[in-house]
Amino acid sequence: MRKRPGGILAIYQYLDNLTDAMKLIRNRPDCVDHEVFSPTSYHEIEEALDAGPSPVRWFTLFGALTGSVTGFGLALWLDYDWPMVVGGKLAGLYSLPAYVVIGFELTILFGGLMTVLGMLVMGRLPNLNQRILDPRFTDDRFGIFVPNATLSGEQAKILQQCGAEEIRIIESK
Amino acid sequence: MSEEVKWNKTISDVNDGILANLGKPHPSYYVAWAGAIVFLLIGAVTWAIEITLGMGVTGKSSPVYWGVLITNFVFWVGIGHAGTLISAILFLFRAKWRNAVNRSAEAMTVFAVITAGLFPLIHVGRLWVAMYWIPPLPNTNNLWTNLRSPLAWDLFAISTYLIISLLFWYMGLVPDLASVRDRVKGFRRFVYGIMCFGWRGTAKQWHHYEAGYGFLAALATPLVLSVHSIVSWDFAMSIQPGWHTTIFPPYFVAGAILSGCAMVYTLLVPVRKMFRMEEFIRPEHLEACIKLTLLTSTIVFYAYAVEFFVAWYSGNIFEWGVFVKRAIGPYAFYFWVMVFCNCIFPLIWWSKRMRNNIAVSMFVAILVNVGMWFERYNIIISSLVEDFLPGSWGHFQPTLSDIGLTIGSFGWFMFWFLIFCRFFPIVSMSELKLIMPKPLSKKHH
Repeated sequence: MRKRPGGILAIYQYLDNLTDAMKLIRNRPDCVDHEVFSPTSYHEIEEALDAGPSPVRWFTLFGALTGSVTGFGLALWLDYDWPMVVGGKLAGLYSLPAYVVIGFELTILFGGLMTVLGMLVMGRLPNLNQRILDPRFTDDRFGIFVPNATLSGEQAKILQQCGAEEIRIIESK
Repeated sequence: MSEEVKWNKTISDVNDGILANLGKPHPSYYVAWAGAIVFLLIGAVTWAIEITLGMGVTGKSSPVYWGVLITNFVFWVGIGHAGTLISAILFLFRAKWRNAVNRSAEAMTVFAVITAGLFPLIHVGRLWVAMYWIPPLPNTNNLWTNLRSPLAWDLFAISTYLIISLLFWYMGLVPDLASVRDRVKGFRRFVYGIMCFGWRGTAKQWHHYEAGYGFLAALATPLVLSVHSIVSWDFAMSIQPGWHTTIFPPYFVAGAILSGCAMVYTLLVPVRKMFRMEEFIRPEHLEACIKLTLLTSTIVFYAYAVEFFVAWYSGNIFEWGVFVKRAIGPYAFYFWVMVFCNCIFPLIWWSKRMRNNIAVSMFVAILVNVGMWFERYNIIISSLVEDFLPGSWGHFQPTLSDIGLTIGSFGWFMFWFLIFCRFFPIVSMSELKLIMPKPLSKKHH
């Protein structure tokens, strides 16, 4: 397995301190691949991250369209394989209204499954060997991890100025 | 919600407050759990008797072949509606109170739909061959399931609803399971670590998570409205008097949300006490749930009235006959229980004092649950006993077997729900933090 880089981890108590720091290091070349941790999905973080629309939407669209085609396709194919004469009309008319339900339900089903898959794929999950840098990130603290940085470096200074509660070294592992 | 919630806690208290209580619930939890087991056993014994002796023990006989079992099916599907309504529709409407109650509502949905799904299987009797009748599998003549049948639609609708509700529920659980993982040690840490997929809470993960959650909510919103519409078509697509009416889909959806919200309230009040969550599920949240129940109660009231009016206005004597007999015939008791429990008693909630009185509201919410069960019973039985041919009219009386299976369904549902409460965060911690005051530094104050 590839070795994970070491670096510095800054821990923040306050949301606004975190977003200040995020905006400062966002485009710095010495902070590439930094990671931000948060216990929940504050919109302020999303704005500071400025990542653009998530590609999960393409998964949803693909799933939903596949579902529509599958649903209508299934119903029409069954109708073709065993024609059902309704009201004395010719077989092979393929009247759609009754099949809207099947098409609709499979649109939702496939769309939903692909959305969850998209979220997992884009979030690099499942990843059970992930290292947990600090257990408080799922509780009430925010954090920024800058790989390949040192406590005496420029990055640490910026993180400290923004109000970091604590900055510590993370060993390469 | 118009009023601001008065929080005594900050986001730092959330994990401590909620997870600490998971391990040591109030003793009443174990009493409730034992009760659920007893109910479940009653259901299991009844079912064993039914399989041994045949379907005759359920009281189903000409002309009523959809008895109490289908009543229970519709009832439990209805209960399952509030969860996804609260998690999806209220999410899109940005109704903040949902964040305090959505997890328990979603869990309720999942278990209610699983309970509902048992009933068509019990109802067909030889359930071990049911897989062969329902899904589109060809028989030896290559004859397929008729996808024009509302029963086939129902299979697609209920299965989709169950799967999407499960996804929604589990997706919401992932960050919370990571919170549990970061608190516990040893084997439990390993198990919760697997269950949360190794969630780390990075900003990028949250970014994709939020997008996915939004899309899932957008997909689930029409789904909530469609599922009970499709269940109502099981009835409305037939020509049976009392069933064949276009008001059925909105009427059923409103009824489902009414029963679901009442059930959310009925479950939240004891769970909140058992797991000492009064500081997180605030009275304001409970009141918002009651307001939604009151709203849907008035819609249901209106639907009952319109149904009667249309039966009279249509000039169809069979239709009108069924409705008159519902109100003053041999099944009038069920009808008036339904009207009083669903329409009249909830009117007390127009008073803010009564809405905030937990004992009164709990009592009325239970009455609404009873009323909604009777509504389904009333719709199914009173229409089936009398169709267009007086020669084929009959009577229906529930048997002990029907009652046993109904009790069993409550036991089955509570059994799973209480197990869930014990091992999973029953309040969505990550979402609760969002509606609490933001952790901002001094310079912003």
